[in-house]
Amino acid sequence: MSFLGYIRSDGSVGTRNHVLVIPQGIIAKSICDFVAGTKTLLTVDHGSGRTANDREQIARVLIGLGRNPNVASVIVHAASPGVGYPELRAERLADEIATGGKRVELLDPAKDGGTYGAITKGIQLARRMVYEASTLRREKVGDDRLCIGVKCGYSDTTSGIAGNPAVGYLYDKIVGAGGTALFGETTEIIGAEQFLARRAATPEVAEKILRAVSFREDRAKATGQDIRTVNPVPSNIKGGISSLEEKSLGAIHKAGSAPIQDVLKYAERPTRKGLYFVDNWMGHLSIFAGYAAAGANMVLFQLGGGGVAGRTLLEGSPSVVTPFLWATANPRTYAASTDSIDFYSGTVIEGSETPEEAGERLYRVVVDVASGTLTRSETLYYTEPIDMYLEEPRF
Amino acid sequence: MQSKRALSMHPRDNVATAVEEIQAGENVAIPLGGNFLTLIAQEAIPFGFKLALQEIPQGETILKYGETIGRATTTIVRGAMVHIHNLEGTRARGDLERGSAR
Repeated sequence: MSFLGYIRSDGSVGTRNHVLVIPQGIIAKSICDFVAGTKTLLTVDHGSGRTANDREQIARVLIGLGRNPNVASVIVHAASPGVGYPELRAERLADEIATGGKRVELLDPAKDGGTYGAITKGIQLARRMVYEASTLRREKVGDDRLCIGVKCGYSDTTSGIAGNPAVGYLYDKIVGAGGTALFGETTEIIGAEQFLARRAATPEVAEKILRAVSFREDRAKATGQDIRTVNPVPSNIKGGISSLEEKSLGAIHKAGSAPIQDVLKYAERPTRKGLYFVDNWMGHLSIFAGYAAAGANMVLFQLGGGGVAGRTLLEGSPSVVTPFLWATANPRTYAASTDSIDFYSGTVIEGSETPEEAGERLYRVVVDVASGTLTRSETLYYTEPIDMYLEEPRF
Repeated sequence: MQSKRALSMHPRDNVATAVEEIQAGENVAIPLGGNFLTLIAQEAIPFGFKLALQEIPQGETILKYGETIGRATTTIVRGAMVHIHNLEGTRARGDLERGSAR
């Protein structure tokens, strides 16, 4: 199948057409409040007092968001607290984003008349850039240009039985068409890692999967705590999941059955197409921004929700520049928040559809959204802050 | 009496997942390879929760998706609910690690 997307100068294809202003802060926020068609991010992770590894991780998120195919052009300002570090210099971020061939503009309060001056200049630039982006037309492209990232959350037993299997079908379909699909959540493959390792494209990749799990499991053990008081999280247990292993074995269904090409770091861009495991953490405020920075042009949250009562409105999670889809297979979750949910596969539990039939429906939803149909969360202004996946101590 | 439905994910599994609210004493039918395994629920099994397909002795491995999801902390009778009160995961357990280090 095909979709209608924005073809970028590096050959990647956008499902949206934003002007991005980074990093976070009053300059970026003021420009975005003033100019339609712009996006910025909200985070406290500015890099100051962080180790080199973590600063590079932050840089990877910012550069990756800038290079994301859903971004037409980028404004980078030099007023973030971390900007003095070599990894986070505004020029470095701008240069690396520009390697993809898109327009990147720099703002520096020291040269542009202070904070007020930088905001004014940024507004003028952003208005022209949004106008320029709007002259681009969507064109028909193959769905090998889809790059999707997924997380399952508030998991319950519907996730493993009907929710994740539909996503797994979608993943096989996208990978089969030559596209790219990302999944991760290392803690949530503990107990299922041998199964995934057997699907690795090479013995080296199998080893990387097992190493990622043993590293994570050793860290969990080093706390001296009973993992059952941490994960499965309380909503999982209320939804019928009894152990981390059970959660993991249900969670991996979302990855379909394609060979795993490699293990990527948080926000790392895949070098080729196919299915990738990302060594990341499950937090929804962290994971989707990482997928977007890796180049995803769409992200999906597979929701259980059996252990969560009263959530009649589901806000999206911050992926900044990608459409964000909510999917669930839990009939109660769907009934409680129907107008927030883009796709329902409880039909598999009810017996009216097979996982394959549900997955085929999901695939059509994804292609429609890729072509411009809004996701339910895109009809809201509200966005949550990003919690970047940084693991080293602060000093 | 009409049976309630539960799903087994793999022929090796010794638990099934309720896909309806099941009351104590109700018949439960689990589709298995073209036939139905039937048993009587020993207690209420809420939607999405698991019940034992056979007696599971204490210490025995509990299987779902054909894989290990934990072990029985007590003997579980056929038709009883299987959850955190009688199943324990064994992976990533810092508390067990601490115990074995002593």
